[in-house]
Amino acid sequence: MSDAKKIVLAEDNSTLSLLLKFRLEKEGYKLLIAVDGKEAIEMIELHDPELILTDIMMPFISGLEVISHVRNKLNKQTPIIVFSAAGQEEMVLKAFNLGANDFMGKPFSPNELVIRVKRLLR
Amino acid sequence: MIHHQIATMKSYQYIIDYFENSPIIIQVVWALSCILLIAVVILTIYLKKLRSRLRKNEKTVAEYQKEYESDLITYLYAGNEEAEISAEQQVIIDKLRSCATDEFKRRVIVSTLLRLRNEISGEMADAIQKLYFQSGLIIYALKKLKSRRWYVVVKGIRELTQLRVKEVHDKMGVFVNHPKKEIRKEVQLYLVTLFHFDGLKFLDVLQTQLSEWDQIQLLEVLQRFDEQEIPDINPWLKSKNNSVVAFALKLAKIYNQFEVKDALIDLLSHQHKKIRVDTIHVLGHLQVVEAKDILKNNFDILSQDEQIEFFKLLENLCETSDESFLLAHTTNQNFEIKLSALKIIKILAGEKFKSLKYISTDDDYIKIYEFLEYN
Repeated sequence: MSDAKKIVLAEDNSTLSLLLKFRLEKEGYKLLIAVDGKEAIEMIELHDPELILTDIMMPFISGLEVISHVRNKLNKQTPIIVFSAAGQEEMVLKAFNLGANDFMGKPFSPNELVIRVKRLLR
Repeated sequence: MIHHQIATMKSYQYIIDYFENSPIIIQVVWALSCILLIAVVILTIYLKKLRSRLRKNEKTVAEYQKEYESDLITYLYAGNEEAEISAEQQVIIDKLRSCATDEFKRRVIVSTLLRLRNEISGEMADAIQKLYFQSGLIIYALKKLKSRRWYVVVKGIRELTQLRVKEVHDKMGVFVNHPKKEIRKEVQLYLVTLFHFDGLKFLDVLQTQLSEWDQIQLLEVLQRFDEQEIPDINPWLKSKNNSVVAFALKLAKIYNQFEVKDALIDLLSHQHKKIRVDTIHVLGHLQVVEAKDILKNNFDILSQDEQIEFFKLLENLCETSDESFLLAHTTNQNFEIKLSALKIIKILAGEKFKSLKYISTDDDYIKIYEFLEYN
């Protein structure tokens, strides 16, 4: 388990976080869950994960700020997948401009997320 | 001790004497101050109690939510291919069924299901809906539909919409023409959210007015779907319900329904002016050339709003043969018509436009001409 690749998941919907934790841990990854952007940044700095999954809209610090922090302050190229709700197309474009690698629009299929995660961590 | 009591009594007596000897206005002010002070104290105590009750409530909700979240996730991952419902799943179904008898717990369970249902799609989303049925939660939502209180019915319909319960479609028919507009709006959203364009069939039987806000909400829901196969909107364009016609006109414009042009041309003689104006607008958008001649020939009998809208249509459909018509209206009494006529002439015949500079001494005409000359 200690060799498992670490993924930080920043998501304020606790039910969705729990579901994704179960699903991704079943695939052999180690999930670290943050309930907001602030906690996500702390976890990223502390654990240096192999992948980051982040919602765009979160309390305190948004997903966009998390991406910006990783790319510009920490200067890391960790793959980032962003989750966005309908109507947040502009935010998604901003996320890509800031350095996000992929995005998934909500509602999304957890199985599809697993495929994307595997592809990025190959 | 006795001295102390005497001193206290004296000070009370002093206050009473002071109050009794004061002018009436001072007495009233003192009385009001006391009442307000008592009210502030009572309200402070009440708010403190209310806040602690709400916090306790929040804490309880969070605890139950955590428990049901865990149950839900276990249910979703406990399925196996051998049985339709695994033993582990059955335990959770039984637990939720029993918890659902308590209204407070039921609310938390439904909100937990919705929190996840709104975020995911695919097999797991279907499994959540299955759990909603298996745990008997749907029965409570259906009971709400029979309530005499309109807001309970609305909540029931909304829950069924959010959980995508298509199976109760037939039960919704009775609400389409319900006297309460909030119920009608909710059922319309149910139909369109779950059945997309097919859900619009309620327009066939709608007797009440579809407000502008209702129309905007329906269009907003429809635009979330990728499918572009629109049902035949001809019957709605011919509806006796003016709001249905207005909504069909919006559909015709947004989804470029050129095939309904004949019905649109018929609407040019509709008795309701707003519909005639909207029709001209849609005809202009769809660039229906036939409409231009009809409107041009009847221009003098059109209302001013229709005339203005017709000139907007002409901005898209003008031809050199329209030049004399346009020239005749460069000095029209209406500012917008004058502006449109000159604008079209400038595009259509630049040289002609130059020759029109001094044909009128009207202030508006000069302003419009100068504006167009430099823009």
